[in-house]
Amino acid sequence: MTTLTFPLSRIEGHARVVVDVRDGIVQSAKFQATEFRGFEHLVKGAPAEQMPVLVPRICGVCSTAHHVASVKALEDAYGVTPPPLALTIRELLMLGQLLQNQATSLFIFTMPDRLGVDSIFEVGEVGLDGDALAGVAARALRVRQAGTHLITLAGGQFIHPVKAVVGGVTGGIAVAAAAAMRAELADALPVACALFDTYWAYSVALSERLGTWGDDVPACYLTAVSGTRPNYYGDFIRLMGCEGGDMCAQFPAREYRAFLTVGDAEYSYAAQTSYKGNVLRANSLARANLVDSLGTPCANEYLQRFHREFGQPAHAILLFDLARGIELVYAIERAIEILSESLDGAETRLPYEPRDGEGYGLVEAPRGPLIHHYRIENGLIAQAEFVIPTVHNVLAIERALRVAAERYITPDRVNLELERAVGRVVRAFDPCIACATH
Amino acid sequence: MKCFAVLQLSGCAGCEVALLNAEAWVEAYKLVYMPLVVSAEDVPEVDVLLISGGVRTDEDLYKLRRAVKNAQQVVAVGTCAISGGVANLGDRDEVRSLFLAERDRPHVPRLLPKSHPVDTFVAVDLYVPGCPPTSELFMAVLTNPHDFQASKVVCQECGRQKLRDVKPAHLLGFQQGEVLPDVCLINQGYLCIGSSTRGGCRAPCPRAGHPCVGCRGPSDVFIEKESTAWFTSIKRVFATMTNVPEAEIEQGLRSPQLALFLFQFSDYADNKTVAGDHQPRPKEKVL
Repeated sequence: MTTLTFPLSRIEGHARVVVDVRDGIVQSAKFQATEFRGFEHLVKGAPAEQMPVLVPRICGVCSTAHHVASVKALEDAYGVTPPPLALTIRELLMLGQLLQNQATSLFIFTMPDRLGVDSIFEVGEVGLDGDALAGVAARALRVRQAGTHLITLAGGQFIHPVKAVVGGVTGGIAVAAAAAMRAELADALPVACALFDTYWAYSVALSERLGTWGDDVPACYLTAVSGTRPNYYGDFIRLMGCEGGDMCAQFPAREYRAFLTVGDAEYSYAAQTSYKGNVLRANSLARANLVDSLGTPCANEYLQRFHREFGQPAHAILLFDLARGIELVYAIERAIEILSESLDGAETRLPYEPRDGEGYGLVEAPRGPLIHHYRIENGLIAQAEFVIPTVHNVLAIERALRVAAERYITPDRVNLELERAVGRVVRAFDPCIACATH
Repeated sequence: MKCFAVLQLSGCAGCEVALLNAEAWVEAYKLVYMPLVVSAEDVPEVDVLLISGGVRTDEDLYKLRRAVKNAQQVVAVGTCAISGGVANLGDRDEVRSLFLAERDRPHVPRLLPKSHPVDTFVAVDLYVPGCPPTSELFMAVLTNPHDFQASKVVCQECGRQKLRDVKPAHLLGFQQGEVLPDVCLINQGYLCIGSSTRGGCRAPCPRAGHPCVGCRGPSDVFIEKESTAWFTSIKRVFATMTNVPEAEIEQGLRSPQLALFLFQFSDYADNKTVAGDHQPRPKEKVL
């Protein structure tokens, strides 16, 4: 038996891929998460009301999603419904997260794979600087910075937000601040579209070079958004069967155990989810498959083109990346829409009485549905459970890795393209290991 | 062109994201190693090595020891690298036993009994506290840390008005109540510790209406003293500005949300230096 180990970079956190081969036949392809901090253990005994400040520290990339899911779980337990303005500001916060994350994944994590460089920051140095790529790193950072500014405006702190509180948010958004943010986003929109067009063109070139978009057999898709102008604040989880078309399930967060099986693997610190023995997929492609229209002009045009060219549902691996670009454009356009509404109203939060019990909080994080589940006794966390989007994708990642390994490993040789393919496959799912292991 | 690398140990990547938010370094510095954004096998020779995250696994320790050999200057950024961070909330008997029993897996890096600060194992030239440090602080590290201009404490950067005659009788709790826009959060009954927390972050949290939890650690006045000195000072502020019973303040300060940061420079975490002594980190080394 030969064991090939591939270290991973340009993803969040510490992980590696291990492929076992015997006589040129791939025996297994494993995705190993190699870090662990133990949040479910270490928050035990913490005052429940401190969770919204503690849990963003699970992950600095997905901190906003944890912050909002946490507040929603406490509101569920306490039986309080925040006023409409607070919900709007939280939606804005989620859009800031989406914008920042998709820009990072697209341009910093995966663009180098399309250009054959080790990092976006060396594009100029290696002489790739054609018209479409001039100053690409600076432009990419500028777009993602608009997301950071949106998170700061709607969330208070720039990485670990503080503004969502049980019953609402700590305050509205002043007219002048909203106008300035709108202007920044309006400037970022054409920059983002131009970068995405370049990205799309280089992705087509990559697929032509490889002879594939990364085909894999169909999977089930999982997301908490649907309809038109999708709201990442999250209400129900939707599950699309392998064949597409009719949804096969829709359920609230508190019923997730009836639909999702969470398993453990001894070779990884991350768990893995499945649906009745089927491989699941969450993240951008799940949303592109379940959303019919985005309702904002540019993003919707991209989505229609995507559906036209690749079908609905689409299954190829590299389409996750393209779908992410569509959402980047959507996040900017939708945030501009929301910032045009009045956000400086007086009613931003409602009073509440803490009480013991159970609560579930659901949001659609950039990587898929995220659930926080708390059991509260004497005002303290007796049990906390974090159901992480990346965990839904672990089996899908492993299956796609196996497809890639079988493509590039033959009895007489291992094609060196495999190393690049492993990176591309994993990055297409944009896994977050800090979250997955927590 | 100055070269720098970022070594990510066990943490949340928030420090790395904050660095990416500071775009100004792109033209002036060469980033040669940072797994989050660069595919590179190892840390090469660098002028500056930024280390984020705590030492949680044997792999973290191995990478740390290898990396520092190649660095002119070693900088610990963020609460985790300085104290072990949020993962250190697991440094309790019942939690440790769970970790060690349930999480002993054959093919993944072995967990150490607790999350350690970086300077338990290697010498650190500069500490940059914050959860995470702001982009401005990252830029200061890369340019000239000694030129960085900041107020002594967060309070001076906040801009909220302190009222002499408004004295709350009890704390509101972190999630309760309406926040008045321009009035000091202590006047409104919040356990805000910005009055003695190190300045330099420009007070984003209290400005947004959330009490300062002290992620930047103690100001220079307290940084070389035991944590009780900082505690006493915070209690004195509340005794002057409020009628809240001392026990209530004490309980709040020792709850995880604050304890996580309040103790980051104390020997509650394991700050034994490489030399083996228990000296506090000198304030000249803290940005």
